[in-house]
Amino acid sequence: MQRRQFVHAVIGVSVVPKVLLGQKAGSASLPLPAPVPWTLGLNPRTPLPHTVEADAVAESVPAFFSERQMATLTRLADVLLPPLGDKPGAVLAQTPQFLDFFIGSSSAERQDVYTGGLDWLEAEAQKRHKTPFADLDNEQAGVVIKPWLRTWMSDHPPTELHADFINIAHGDIREATVNSAAWNATPTTGAQERTQNELYWSPIEPDLYGESAACAEGRAHVLAAPRLPQFMPEYKR
Amino acid sequence: MKNEMYDVLIIGSGHSGGMAAKILTEKGIRCLMLNAGPVADVSRDVERKRASELPYRGFRPPGQVDHVFQSNEFNANVWVDEQEVPYTFDPAHPYNWVRVRLFGGRSLFWSRQSFRLSDYELKGASHDGYGTDWPIGSADLAPYYSRVEGIFRVTGALDGPPQLPNGNFILDDAPWSPSMQRFIAAAKPRGIPVCKQRRAMGQNGLASSVNLLLPDAEKTGKLTSIANAVVRTITVDKNTGLPNGCNFVDRLTRREMSVRARVVVLAAGTLESTRLLLNSGLANSSGVLGHYLTDQIYGAGLVCSVPEARNGRSKGLMGGSAIVPRFRNIATRSDKFLRGYALNVSSSTGDVDLRNFAAYGADLQRKLEAYQGSGFHMTIMGEVLGRYENHVHIDNSMADTWGIPVLHVQTRYTDNEFNMAKDAVETGKELAHTAGFEVLSSNDQPNPPGYSIHEIGTARMGDDPKTSVLNKWNQSHDHKNLFVVDGASFVSGGWQNPTMTILSLSMRASEYLAGEMSKQNI
Repeated sequence: MQRRQFVHAVIGVSVVPKVLLGQKAGSASLPLPAPVPWTLGLNPRTPLPHTVEADAVAESVPAFFSERQMATLTRLADVLLPPLGDKPGAVLAQTPQFLDFFIGSSSAERQDVYTGGLDWLEAEAQKRHKTPFADLDNEQAGVVIKPWLRTWMSDHPPTELHADFINIAHGDIREATVNSAAWNATPTTGAQERTQNELYWSPIEPDLYGESAACAEGRAHVLAAPRLPQFMPEYKR
Repeated sequence: MKNEMYDVLIIGSGHSGGMAAKILTEKGIRCLMLNAGPVADVSRDVERKRASELPYRGFRPPGQVDHVFQSNEFNANVWVDEQEVPYTFDPAHPYNWVRVRLFGGRSLFWSRQSFRLSDYELKGASHDGYGTDWPIGSADLAPYYSRVEGIFRVTGALDGPPQLPNGNFILDDAPWSPSMQRFIAAAKPRGIPVCKQRRAMGQNGLASSVNLLLPDAEKTGKLTSIANAVVRTITVDKNTGLPNGCNFVDRLTRREMSVRARVVVLAAGTLESTRLLLNSGLANSSGVLGHYLTDQIYGAGLVCSVPEARNGRSKGLMGGSAIVPRFRNIATRSDKFLRGYALNVSSSTGDVDLRNFAAYGADLQRKLEAYQGSGFHMTIMGEVLGRYENHVHIDNSMADTWGIPVLHVQTRYTDNEFNMAKDAVETGKELAHTAGFEVLSSNDQPNPPGYSIHEIGTARMGDDPKTSVLNKWNQSHDHKNLFVVDGASFVSGGWQNPTMTILSLSMRASEYLAGEMSKQNI
């Protein structure tokens, strides 16, 4: 209901400027008496306020991973993608914080890959080095990680337990870092990946009514695919 | 004029609907086109952005289009929202239904690979005993293919064996790169043909209904189009039992509307056309409507590296792309599977994806530097056998945003497809080793059905009204003024990207329809 009221309000204000602009055209040489309605000046020549991405100035508040998981993820991200040359590493690019947000809003299957994987990493670190994963040096971390590295083709990550997490997380950490503002702000050389720069499609005539009304009442749409022992990529993205 | 009787109602504006509109209006026939979605205006809807400016850093927003593996944050809004127009399937057998409802449909985004079907596909049953022959052969389609290839400006070489018929091409006479020559040399002794890639150039890089077909139709002054018209049912004249228009709902306002026409042409895309027929209770005296859904297996393949091209020596060695047309079960018989697959082959001068290295950090970066410009890719496009049990039906337990019952998709691959994918990867590895390429990664598991966005069948054509929905002119056996001109009419699909065939069939059906209308048979 709130959304519909909002839509009506938007429709309402969109009508006003045309009326006022029409008045202006009739008396173009005369300055309008103050106060000028705010809507009058909104036209293509109106200066636009400049804004920055929130990431540039604000800290994100962790909301999904536990403190221990977040510490493990941060160390893992730093090991897998440390600062190289002029490029920031995953930690400087705030990739762990981004993944906390992104994985936190992803499917339960994907969340399980991460939480299970991070808990397993911590358990392995304790078992092998009697140290939290977050405190391992690069060599110690490598002992835990390297046996699980695999090569794979897109949409078909490894399905083997632990290898799935290591390789999926590696891909995500890398992509999130390459597509960060910090990475984009530094020059790219050689085979360093470039921040994706593509045509972005806005929602096209979005169906606000459907979004707020009909769909909200419907039951869950397409059923999620469960893990299968064979055949289908069960990587729930 | 309100409630005007149009000559032809065309539902859908993609390649098949656009072609029908072009052909019919150019013959003076007044057409009304309905499209379920809005017009995409790039000056309004599109801007260049960096992923770092987007909330999800380029990742597909969670939950938005779960079954569109092709999607990311940049393009997530062009696909049909799975919440808005749901579909159902058995969770053990997922289906990736990838849809676009913008004006022009998927013709805005296709990969533009342009192939003809051969009689190995059209008369496949005669060749190997499996399935059903099409009621038409390659000679019936050849003249239409030629005209379509002209409109779409298809590039290629006249180098196809019988299973890859040549066409009306803008000739590609560029020499093969040395890496491609090595691949060809490895393939030749095995009887594996390697041909120049065939691709529609269109105009300005776009080969779509909106720039190649609809402008011609609009020029005639005979085409009227409505956007955001979600068709609910095809209506039927109570006296004659013949379709006479449709009821639709306005996508945004929910206003219920109706239009009338003498002829109805369905071009909504394979599964949407079939869904509409099923929801309207039409064209199904055979009981075959919805059945024989097929597509093509994608996702299996391998990534290689050409060692001599590493460490900055890519130039002059790498580059170019090729199509390896089906070579299995042509002259010999495989005991592992029926039919066959093609391989898309490309020699890349760009980056090699990091997934190809079991490494991280500085070690990975060194590998990425060293391997840059040495990537050599092979990916499968394989035929999926037509099976009665692979089908769609209406799922009355669920409706879309406008209350229209949704489709349940029930389809799965079998050992024929899985064995084909394994053979493709094994063969690719053999070729790579012979050519001296290093195999970096491989995958022999197909993506879920639907992924190729080549869904076809479900209203197949045939001479026998008891076993087919349409006749050889894409005309309903049951209702003479009802045509289905999209991929639903396919009897079998082969490995070929179906677009050229859909366009040719739509052109052929539309000319037949115009002829029948002028003779007053319809």
